[in-house]
Amino acid sequence: MGCISGLGQGTAQTWARAAAGQSAIAPFGLPRNEDERTTGPAAPIGEVNDSGVAAHFDRRAIGQLDPLSRYALIAATEAIGEAGLIGDPVLDRRTAISIGCGSGGNTTFETAYRRLYERGQNRVHPQTIPAAMISAPASQIAMLFGVHGPAMTIASACASSAHAIGEAMHMIRAGRVEVAIAGGAEACLTLGSWVAWASLGAMASDTCRPFSIDRQGLVLGEGAAILVLEAWEHAIARRATIHGELIGYGASTDAAHITAPDQAGIEAAIRAAHADATLALDVPVLISSHGTGTGLNDATEARALKAIYGATLAESLVIATKSAHGHLIGGSGALEFLLGLKALQAGLAPPSAII
Amino acid sequence: MPPSRDEIIAIISEEARIDEAKLTSDVTLASLDIASLDVVSVLFAIEDKNGVEIPVEAINPAQTLGQFVDGILAKVSAV
Repeated sequence: MGCISGLGQGTAQTWARAAAGQSAIAPFGLPRNEDERTTGPAAPIGEVNDSGVAAHFDRRAIGQLDPLSRYALIAATEAIGEAGLIGDPVLDRRTAISIGCGSGGNTTFETAYRRLYERGQNRVHPQTIPAAMISAPASQIAMLFGVHGPAMTIASACASSAHAIGEAMHMIRAGRVEVAIAGGAEACLTLGSWVAWASLGAMASDTCRPFSIDRQGLVLGEGAAILVLEAWEHAIARRATIHGELIGYGASTDAAHITAPDQAGIEAAIRAAHADATLALDVPVLISSHGTGTGLNDATEARALKAIYGATLAESLVIATKSAHGHLIGGSGALEFLLGLKALQAGLAPPSAII
Repeated sequence: MPPSRDEIIAIISEEARIDEAKLTSDVTLASLDIASLDVVSVLFAIEDKNGVEIPVEAINPAQTLGQFVDGILAKVSAV
């Protein structure tokens, strides 16, 4: 497992801060490093340390990267390194890459647009398209680690990286690959992206308070989380460190409204996951929730959980870590999966971090 | 304010991903193995910082690093 977010770089630091109830949400101004035109709360990444990537690869091989791909590569290098698979022959033909992203390389697109619209220049960088395309993180991971199996990007808004992990699990179950590098990334703390999110009316002006009566909305974060999924027999045979077993996955589509959540859609996905895992609904569980902090999401999500689990919900734990790392949009599901798994391992539910 | 020679060297090091210690004024771009795409990246980084346009056609691989930096400084100072 590997990750980077406002909480820091690396699974150990990220978990330690989340478990301690710390939050990366702080006052933030855009554009970065320039005269601020807009401010609000966000969970930005501070220092980025590329040395883990540089230890394995010539930095000239990495090329022009949008922060979206840079975050994904840092998380992937940690995950694949920790799995002991860097340079392993399985990466060549028997590995898939499945990465969820909500938007593409916002920084790269906006830099190009500023040249065209703001400064009246006529040329943009020749690497604008390859750096900014939404599939760049998957392609960069494939090139860096020599993965020749399918490398795909799933874009399904805030569910992107949860879908990426679930679909990767089914690729392994179907016998198509032995290993899948799965997760997600987002780098949306740019002026254009920020203003567009703000205009949606879903952003909080103070902080992210999931399931709180006084919640105001979501707070944007950024980063990536990547996991190495592996066929059970393959992991046993090579004596890999096994963090957990992924036993089920369910997905549904609301087909109701482009932004508003739908209780029936949420319930359908959870029921499908339990059916896939052959796990009864009356077994106490740990739920790493979506918990965005918006009025609409949290109320709908809570109603769906109550409808499905009934009295058992009182014995289960619901965690909502966006209060710590903000909303990573396409990267959220993977980071919340990773933190949920760490919580299970540690036997500790991280608190909602409310400043 | 136009950038200093050292600032331009720092941009070249960053964009072309070459250690600054190797960036002496007498070496040619060709001997540094700077890809043409990296030269473009250097020019775009300087353009974005200084609001100038530097035609990539003005650069050739036989140039020394010193000539390359001189050419950039001339463009930036002319603004």
